Amino acid sequence: MMFFSQLRGELHKLFARKRTYIGYIVFLVFEALLLTLWVQVGRDQFEDLAQRNFVPVELLSSSLTSTYWIMGFSMFLLGSIYFALVAGDIVAKESEDGNMRLVLSRPVSRLRVLTIKYCAVIIYTITFVIFVGVTGYSMSLLAMGSEGGLFIWNPDMQILAVYPERDEGFRRLFMGACFMGLSMCVVSSLGFFFSCFKMKPAAASVMALSVFFIDFVLQNIPFLINFKHVFITYRMANWVYVLQEQIPWARIAESYAILLGLNATLFVIGWMAFQSRDFKT
Amino acid sequence: MLKIQNLKKRFGKKDALKGVSFEVKRGEIHGLLGHNGAGKSTSLGIILGMISADDGEVAIGGISVQKDPRKALRKVGAIFESPSFYDYMSGWENLKILVGLSGPFDRKAAKEVVERVGLMDRIHSKVGAYSHGMRQRLALAQALLPEPEILLLDEPTDGLDPEGIKWFRDFVLGLREERGMTVLFNSHLLSEVEQMCDRVSIIRAGELVYEGAVNDLRDDRQGVRIIAEPRERLEAIVAQFQGEWISNGRCLFPEDVRIAEVVASLVREGAEVSEVTPVRRSLEDVYLKYSSQSQS
Repeated sequence: MMFFSQLRGELHKLFARKRTYIGYIVFLVFEALLLTLWVQVGRDQFEDLAQRNFVPVELLSSSLTSTYWIMGFSMFLLGSIYFALVAGDIVAKESEDGNMRLVLSRPVSRLRVLTIKYCAVIIYTITFVIFVGVTGYSMSLLAMGSEGGLFIWNPDMQILAVYPERDEGFRRLFMGACFMGLSMCVVSSLGFFFSCFKMKPAAASVMALSVFFIDFVLQNIPFLINFKHVFITYRMANWVYVLQEQIPWARIAESYAILLGLNATLFVIGWMAFQSRDFKT
Repeated sequence: MLKIQNLKKRFGKKDALKGVSFEVKRGEIHGLLGHNGAGKSTSLGIILGMISADDGEVAIGGISVQKDPRKALRKVGAIFESPSFYDYMSGWENLKILVGLSGPFDRKAAKEVVERVGLMDRIHSKVGAYSHGMRQRLALAQALLPEPEILLLDEPTDGLDPEGIKWFRDFVLGLREERGMTVLFNSHLLSEVEQMCDRVSIIRAGELVYEGAVNDLRDDRQGVRIIAEPRERLEAIVAQFQGEWISNGRCLFPEDVRIAEVVASLVREGAEVSEVTPVRRSLEDVYLKYSSQSQS
């Protein structure tokens, strides 16, 4: 019970800061921009593809399909930056500002302090992804109406799926958003991990983003194609498999088990580093 | 109440603490004195479990901070020199979050404490708009929740105006009076320690150079500031009257020595006396004395 009250306090701290909302505002603008580009330019280019694959053009123009594109593009590009910033801040900023001394002067274990912070970051990450999905879908509804199903085409992951029924498309997309949220927790865990060490908040965020983008670049190098499965970003991209008509649960379970293990490892090493730190003036 | 045994700590190549031991008894206000970098804050950090000791042990109420920090710190309230709160939140919200870390937040108790520290009018304002004095009052409020038995104060009056210092001093003395609160008061403001503390521990360069009652440090010798030329003649006369130099231009004479006689001797010996002022021997003199003894 006390844990939840402490978690509420941590979330209150996180959401009481104005800069937490910068990410939300930027995402709304970015989503609107992507939607406009999709409606004005992207849709026409994909019509041909849809026709060649015997997919009704109305599916492409649907609000669900555009939400998929908005989420897919915006989250990996921009979301990772915000998650790294927020997670990189959560411990390091308080250490830098001196709040941590006040916190640790209370009879509370360092593990408890970190667990609360980590949970807050994970909640922030998942709710942020869902926020992007909800707002992306709402904007798409306004722009295109509620008619139409979902059309998925992802050449990198070799997925082509069509859901003519709106309800099934919506269900799949919602599942996709949840799994994407879980994937993005890896970026937050990286930021959190570096934040536990004695470094500036900005350094923690930059380190997390560096790891993320280096992994992404390596994963896309053609001669490393056979080693794709060892890269974090490849495992993170496995969320799209829930959009496949026959969901490969074994493959998804394997990837998320690896990601969960990675998150847990990052947390434990971060905790060990934090536990051994001295907090001085 | 608080027992510190053989604390050692090294930061890189520097020994911050070289086996410091002292004890704070229940209901006592104990001063921890030393210049900047002497090891006072490191000691306090180790007591609070924020800094790990290389060797030694701290026990609060018989419970080891190293072995069971949560339990040991349950009855401890702490204040730092510049308390860092969450500036974008109100004082009340800060209290709720900080106090909530160690147990349920009791609104009634919190309200009473806030009223007591005189922050009721501004408790719902953002801490970013607080003055240094108000921050210290808020720090005091959080340290007093819930009901600590021992208060650890790390240079709490630094940066406060004279009125704020007096208020703080009276408040802490009041706490001891009413609740029998034990206080460890870390400061380099010697007059503060002298006015507030029962006992004092003096640390220099990581070593304890004195531990005892504040009253024991005081003596009845007469302090005088004497400026006269030539210097050699002055020193000879001071020695003749069994005077002891405590700092530049200031010396202490035994109780039975008449200062008028010292001045008359100086004049007789042809010294040009430009100043003779009685001075009160302060704790600073004692601190300097013990520090230099330790150094030599």
